Amino acid sequence: MAACTQRTGALARLIQNVQFHHERMFSVFSLRLQAAGSGDKPPTFTPPSKPVILDKSKPEEAARRFVSPEFIPPRQRTAPLKFFLERKDMIQRRRVLNIPEFYVGSVLSVTTSDPHASNNTNRFVGICIQRSGKGLGATFILRNIIDGQGVEICYELYNPRMKHIEVLKLEKRLDDNLMYLRDALPEYSTFAFDVKPVHLSPTQEVPVNEMKVRMKPRPWSKRWERPKFNIKGIRFDLCLTPEQMEHAQKWAEPWRQYDMLKEYDTSTLEEKIYQEVQAELRK
Amino acid sequence: MAVWTCRLLRLSDALVYRATAILPRTGAGTSPLGSVLVHCVRTAKTSTWWDEHLTADNVEFLKRDVAEDYSRLTAAKLNPLKDEPWPRHEWEEQSRRVGLVAVKLGMMPMWTKSGDRHVVTMLQVQDCHVIKHMPKDEYDGRSAALVVGAKNVSPFYRSVEYLEKFQNAGVPPKQKLTTFRVTENAVIKPGTPLYAAHFRPGQYVDITAKTIGKGFQGVMKRWGFKGQPATHGQTKTHRRPGSLGPGGDPAKVFKGKKMPGRMGNVYDTAFGLKVWRVNTKNNILYVNGSVPGHRNCLVKVRDTVLPRHLEKNKNPPFPTYFADGDEELPEDLYTEDMFQFGEPLPE
Repeated sequence: MAACTQRTGALARLIQNVQFHHERMFSVFSLRLQAAGSGDKPPTFTPPSKPVILDKSKPEEAARRFVSPEFIPPRQRTAPLKFFLERKDMIQRRRVLNIPEFYVGSVLSVTTSDPHASNNTNRFVGICIQRSGKGLGATFILRNIIDGQGVEICYELYNPRMKHIEVLKLEKRLDDNLMYLRDALPEYSTFAFDVKPVHLSPTQEVPVNEMKVRMKPRPWSKRWERPKFNIKGIRFDLCLTPEQMEHAQKWAEPWRQYDMLKEYDTSTLEEKIYQEVQAELRK
Repeated sequence: MAVWTCRLLRLSDALVYRATAILPRTGAGTSPLGSVLVHCVRTAKTSTWWDEHLTADNVEFLKRDVAEDYSRLTAAKLNPLKDEPWPRHEWEEQSRRVGLVAVKLGMMPMWTKSGDRHVVTMLQVQDCHVIKHMPKDEYDGRSAALVVGAKNVSPFYRSVEYLEKFQNAGVPPKQKLTTFRVTENAVIKPGTPLYAAHFRPGQYVDITAKTIGKGFQGVMKRWGFKGQPATHGQTKTHRRPGSLGPGGDPAKVFKGKKMPGRMGNVYDTAFGLKVWRVNTKNNILYVNGSVPGHRNCLVKVRDTVLPRHLEKNKNPPFPTYFADGDEELPEDLYTEDMFQFGEPLPE
């Protein structure tokens, strides 16, 4: 019996303690609620801000520098004023439409307004196989295979119908022109429409996908083994014999690389245009 | 001013000895040298290089001084209303204005608000001035005319007669001079600068220039003949003209028969081109489609003569656009349906 009373006494003390604790907790909560000012609404949970961890031990990496290739004027005897005026219009357009950095080989999703489509928009996903044109007439070609049928769409970068350009996967390939995907197996140009974009930090180098494609049996739309195309992304060993590869060298023009009149060094021009475009876009 | 230069060649010497002597004409025949071959060449000695007898310092000074002089001249002409302006008249039907001389810069695409793509040619109006006014009786007795020039050039390689025209107008010498027929109410004082804002978006213009020279071309390229098949037993007959016409009855080839020959490098006019946009700061005209001539060539731009576009050319700046007038223009003038690149996205 004595033990029982002792126990009850201990219990009572415990309850008192708990109550005391609860009171303290309650008082704190009520204070917070009062501070929030809402009378009978349930308190909303606001998560604390995520801590940003800066690694001070590493030197700060500079963001990638990228000048869209259509900003570089072609090498010709045209007054520089013409390209300057065109650049001004291009920058004006870029203030409204975000044209991201992308390369031949990147996977893009493009939304355009289309008066003939339902809800007036049209979205297409595909791999960029070519970028061409200078100035306001710049274009790029997206390729995909839809229901077993190869589809290529040539988009104008500065067309007012262009609504949204999203880079799903930013990468380069071994070649600057992937037109040979037309003659490659369809698996290399098939891309799902519902993939999530892969993030690449702006300080990171753009990765080069060193994939080599397998081709359909010949004949191809062009003789890709010829040296003038200089293609590195095809498994020629699977479709051509060594004799055929050697025969293709008949059309090699090895003196071309020594033609000094064909040299066009755009590095200084690129730097100047980069500064100009950045200064204008920051305005 | 031609002089007789005699070249004496003494052939008897083992070493060929050359001497040049200037002898009077009468003296050439009475040369005392018996075994000398006298060879007379008539050489014109009238022209020299402009800096042939000048020191390098003087050449530099002249270049600098002339450039300064011309910039001062141009600045003085910016306000033609200040010194005795000519009376200005109102625009009326059947008036013909002066045109412009512009430099062809190149082409670029543009879009309308509905998303249709067009191409435009950019024409820069560069140092365009009225050089001379020719009244009716002086020109051809039917209408008055204005001579307009554009693109300043160095005066050192031009003839005195050519430079005199510009001295009278008080402007630097120009590369190109063109004559525009105008009505009596559209005459402008010589020395007045002309701007791209002379034309307004929505107007229609005619553009004249020399086409790109193609050299001697065959009938397929020059006249669009069909040629002959590549195979099926053709011998040496693929791009030839074929028959020149019927045989016995006319017994001749008709005049004007289309044949191979020089192609291009002739004046050509593109009629009825729409002005989409005018940049008043850099004096650029954005004209629909292509115009004759190569890049950087000088073209003649005037109001169109096509009757179907006369309606759209009514009430232009008359007789021209004056920079110091009351009219304050924005940097870019657009037609209503043209898409402006800074605009938000159209639906």
